[in-house]
Amino acid sequence: MAMDVVDYEIFGSEMQYVEVELDPGEAAVGEAGVMMYMQAGIQMDTVFGDGSQQQGGFMGKLMGAGKRLLTGESLFTTVFHNEGSGKRRVAFAAPYPGKIIPVHLSDIGGTLICQKDSFLCAAKGVSLGIAFQKKLGVGLFGGEGFIMQKLEGDGLAFVHAGGTLKELVLAPGESLRVDTGCVVAFQPSVDFDIQFVGKIKSAIFGGEGLFFATLTGPGKVWLQSLPLSRLANRIILSAPAAGGRSTGQGSLLGAGVLGGLLGGDD
Amino acid sequence: MDCWAAMTEQTFEGRLFGPGLPGTGAEAVGSWNGQGCLRVSVEGTPRTELLAENPAIAAAGFNAASLRITWEDDGGAYAFVIEKDAARATCGVSAPPGIASRILSASGSRECLERRFRFGGVLLALFLALPLILIGVFLLNSDRVADWAVKRIPHEQEARLGDLVLAQTRLQMKILDSGPAVDAVSAIGSKLTTGSLHRYRWFVADRPDVNAFAAPGGVVVVFSGLIRSAGSAEELAGVLAHEVAHAELRHSLRGMVKSLGLRALVSLLTGDVSGGVFADAATRLTELRFSREAEREADDEGLRRLVKARIDPNGMLRFYMKLASEGRPSPPPLLSTHPATGERLERLRREVAGLKQKWVPLPIDLTSLK
Ligand SMILES: [Zn+2]
Repeated sequence: MAMDVVDYEIFGSEMQYVEVELDPGEAAVGEAGVMMYMQAGIQMDTVFGDGSQQQGGFMGKLMGAGKRLLTGESLFTTVFHNEGSGKRRVAFAAPYPGKIIPVHLSDIGGTLICQKDSFLCAAKGVSLGIAFQKKLGVGLFGGEGFIMQKLEGDGLAFVHAGGTLKELVLAPGESLRVDTGCVVAFQPSVDFDIQFVGKIKSAIFGGEGLFFATLTGPGKVWLQSLPLSRLANRIILSAPAAGGRSTGQGSLLGAGVLGGLLGGDD
Repeated sequence: MDCWAAMTEQTFEGRLFGPGLPGTGAEAVGSWNGQGCLRVSVEGTPRTELLAENPAIAAAGFNAASLRITWEDDGGAYAFVIEKDAARATCGVSAPPGIASRILSASGSRECLERRFRFGGVLLALFLALPLILIGVFLLNSDRVADWAVKRIPHEQEARLGDLVLAQTRLQMKILDSGPAVDAVSAIGSKLTTGSLHRYRWFVADRPDVNAFAAPGGVVVVFSGLIRSAGSAEELAGVLAHEVAHAELRHSLRGMVKSLGLRALVSLLTGDVSGGVFADAATRLTELRFSREAEREADDEGLRRLVKARIDPNGMLRFYMKLASEGRPSPPPLLSTHPATGERLERLRREVAGLKQKWVPLPIDLTSLK
């Protein structure tokens, strides 16, 4: 299935939104709840799965649904079709302060691994999959970074970084240690290891930044200065009545069951 | 090493990273020559062509899903990353033996990671499902669990449970502690229970039903309806022997533990740990049904006790036949709680026919009690 070629424009500086221009017959996919506005002629359609090629028949869909449920994502994706006769625009807004990153998947080899809440929208045809971090070790208990999202295709995808964006290229063998929450996305050629750094004592009695992701090149890496989880923690801590917990919109189970179980705070 | 020797025809696609190339890598095509040199070429203007002598090979990238071939030359460090399965396979197949084995071990380490992940997943799933599995195991093995628990209940506890059952029964029906009927039952019963660890207590309930039950700890209650329908002391002795056998074999205790255990588990699960569970179980003792095996065991043990006390077991057989043949609309309670199958009766008949001992008639006249 050919990817839809999408023109776009990003507006704003710290609270951004992206306006995507769709030619007649083109479509974009987005997670429910990030759409900001759309021009007349654009049809919204909720599909089961990710709206990419309908792979694997019934069982495949069921497995996909199971995975999405497990990771706390919505079972349905919203597809925005341009059913009109001319170019039409639809806009998707970043849910928290930061930067929207446009990634041409074809430029980076067709696959992007990203943090699971950083995906914003993509051209129809980009498949949105789940990628578990399989190098378990202590990463299992790190929560963040255990469940990643895998975007595949050769179209355009938009991911969102909280706070200030840092794009960097790692040369072959070059490595960088990053707080797991600060990793937005990376090319699959990059080694992604979650390591426990610090003393067990401080791990048990609380402490921050105990889990680090070691990223080793070659490949491109996108980092965020303000992970949503960090922002959320501070807000909750300073809220008058601490302890309120809202459920994620559009998600059947609210926060990810597995993520929550493993101590993920996002 | 002659790196410029002819390259194999087989090429494989990947991404080349290194000095002078885009940070996100460039699409490239690789091929091996017989000397273990990798040639990588990047299409474009100008066409880049690199030659890697004796490169390092590893499974790398996210989840070690790709094959990474790295080397250094004067320009700096280069990496050729093969992500697609088909390309990886071609790379492995077309490589000279020395290189191929390294590619094989790299893919081995990737498979190892995959296996470990699956194993971890299974462990996690087991951990999550553990409570459910435990409940399942308990339900499937409630018999064995009950057996295990019953073996560990001391006799004093059993007697206390008997007291509880008796107290509960007193609330439901009129229980006679003394009198000619109690004396008769007690006289027959004590013959059957000589040498028992329990201190047996015999009671008669003033009820018309043909029924009797033995609570744990040696509390035996015979319904007056049963005494009335018994044709002789030997017939009564047969029923008592069977009930005593149930008590001695701890069948009722086992049944109580089973029903208690399940309900205790349920109340634990639902968080409703109110009292009355035990009292309730005690109440239900009269409705407790025994399994077919338990009945057979009780028949055998009862018969053994009758023979030991030199009481004619034909009384037992007669009473059973009487119960089974009575054309009542509903079977007597004794039969419904002690399911008497034809097979059971037949078995008893055979056993009794094989006995040639001399019996001592019981010096008790039941007609005076009626
Ligand atoms: Zn019985």
